[in-house]
Amino acid sequence: MFDLMNINPGLWVILAGLLCTLIPKSSATHYTRKLLLIAAPIFAGWLIFQMHSISPEYIRGVLTFGSVELTTLRIDGLSLVWGYLFCLAGVINGIYGLHEKCRITDSSALIYTGAAIAGVLSGDMITLFIFWELTAISSVFLVWKGGDRAYAAGMRYLAIQVLSGVLLLGGAVMVAQDRGGDFMFNYIGLDTPGGWLMLIAMGIKCGFPLLHNWMQDAYPKASITGTVILASFTTKFAIYALARGFEGVDILIWIGAIMTCFPVFFAVVENDLRRVLAYSLNNQLGFMVAGIGIGGALAMNGVVGQVFVHVIFKGLLFMSIGAVMYRTGTAKASELGGLFRSMPYTTVLCLIGAGSIAAFPLLAAFVTKAMILAAAIEAHLWIPFAMMLFASAGVMEHSGIKVPHFTFFAHDSGRRVKEAPWNMLLAMSLAGILCIVLAWPFGGYQMLYALMPFEMDYPYKPYTWDHVVFQLQLLFAAIFAFTLLKRYGVYPAERRAEILDFDWVYRRMGFGAVKWSSAMWDRMNVHVKRYRDKTLNALGRKLYQAFSPAGAMSEAAPSGLSAVLTAGMLLLTLIVIYVLGA
Amino acid sequence: MSDMKRDPAEHAAEGIHPAAKPFLFLGKDTVKANFMWLPLIGIVITVIFGLMHPLKHPAPWDFVPGSWAIFGFIAYTLIVLSAPFLFKVLARNEDYYGEGGLPDPDYSTEHEGEH
Repeated sequence: MFDLMNINPGLWVILAGLLCTLIPKSSATHYTRKLLLIAAPIFAGWLIFQMHSISPEYIRGVLTFGSVELTTLRIDGLSLVWGYLFCLAGVINGIYGLHEKCRITDSSALIYTGAAIAGVLSGDMITLFIFWELTAISSVFLVWKGGDRAYAAGMRYLAIQVLSGVLLLGGAVMVAQDRGGDFMFNYIGLDTPGGWLMLIAMGIKCGFPLLHNWMQDAYPKASITGTVILASFTTKFAIYALARGFEGVDILIWIGAIMTCFPVFFAVVENDLRRVLAYSLNNQLGFMVAGIGIGGALAMNGVVGQVFVHVIFKGLLFMSIGAVMYRTGTAKASELGGLFRSMPYTTVLCLIGAGSIAAFPLLAAFVTKAMILAAAIEAHLWIPFAMMLFASAGVMEHSGIKVPHFTFFAHDSGRRVKEAPWNMLLAMSLAGILCIVLAWPFGGYQMLYALMPFEMDYPYKPYTWDHVVFQLQLLFAAIFAFTLLKRYGVYPAERRAEILDFDWVYRRMGFGAVKWSSAMWDRMNVHVKRYRDKTLNALGRKLYQAFSPAGAMSEAAPSGLSAVLTAGMLLLTLIVIYVLGA
Repeated sequence: MSDMKRDPAEHAAEGIHPAAKPFLFLGKDTVKANFMWLPLIGIVITVIFGLMHPLKHPAPWDFVPGSWAIFGFIAYTLIVLSAPFLFKVLARNEDYYGEGGLPDPDYSTEHEGEH
């Protein structure tokens, strides 16, 4: 019998997305699509709430295929947070995109959101793989909506995401084989080759160093709404998988610490502000990966909290730059400046996002990032801690200062545009309010704590004198350094350029190698064909000379030679008969 | 005449949002030039407070007063000073990969090949 409570809530959002594809294009049906876009994630969130109310460890939708048992629905403390978060992000993204009359964007946004929700709520590795791939396939349309420029980037994005899925499946099968056929998605670790494969698969999706380029390649080229939606799900889905499968795996501390640092150097020279934010996204993921590597209740709760607020404040930053792009037609820092005069509300909201990511007191990441750093201090991980502190100054540089400064302040670009549309302002305001509420000392961050799944010996207190004062020292010093460098003309001006990253290896060198190989192959084929034709012609000539009516074999042979030839043929026949008879 | 005292219609004609009017002083060169004193005062205050409320779990280098301010200043400066070198090494023409196109063609005001 059909039972609503047995079905993964993400599937309803996917179904809404499929319905959207069938709704004909017209101004009347546009509202139906938009209604679905907002209502479906709300419905999924309500279902998750209902299911979690029944049992804190809610497992349903068990299907058996031969010897393989799939658990298509599991809501526990960890998946609950991601489930709620993705539903919330789906609603905010839906509001942000209300002005857009694009059926493809609406459909793929819903399917993508649904796949991400269903993925984090899946209990086994096969179901995880299916939704892992569905997020890739559904989201590539958001990249392609960026126009011609995005086509190649979309293809690369799809290829890399699908590769990640294939590695995940391969790893999952190997892990399950080691466990006697158990496909449940729990702690995996790195004791088996399958575990390594799964780590690489997740590493691709959450932007490990050298595996990260798809993010900075595809996100800035997607459509305005597309980039906002893309930034919410894929990487955070991968962080969920890492948190579930690799808590306390030491190597992640170092990978995460490197992830926090290297994007900082690319962001400082990048001119495309959406690409700056993509690097910033990579840097924030580093804090989460390092936190998962540290493990334990404090770090893991810090990761959970950081993921939650990150989706909101990073979304807010992408939304504000998207709004600027919508009005001005560009996201290049070199083309912008002085927009606070015509877009004051967007400016304030962007500053809230910037303050949140920089972890200013009373703003989002102040509480959660501190938990990860405190866990590193508790574990005496001084070098990773110093790297993360360095990266915090870097965050202040690229997201805290560079993005708002070059967009809304700096020199006056002379652009006088309208303020962002009401729906964009509403979505940004919701995100901005959440940034403040979730860090508010009196009952605010406690709401976030209530969602955290790991039992702590004592709740972490973010608003202590020493934490507030030392965090402000770091941030004030970074702002002072900026003003000083700017005043003395040392701060580099923004210039239009393509900044090379590791993707040069496959976009330029790899592509060049393939082109060279193809040209060599063509040339080799020409030579092979020529030699083959030459050889066959020569052979044909020889055979003709021997066996044609005018050939040597047709000439009358002397009787002595004929007798020898006949005797030879008879001998050969006898040998063949003897061998076959034996 | 200061920006604040100008006729609202004049601002509207210039495309200035009414809500931005009280903040137009932020665009003045003197304000920009003197803005640096604000974070500097912030540093002084927080360093003094830091002496009164030292870190409960200090890192090995936190015996230096204002250690996080020093760390923040050096880290930020290092990142920014690395930019010219990085730009020289990593920057290429915008059409380097030859993929062309505009960022979001529905809205873009950028033109292909423009530098």
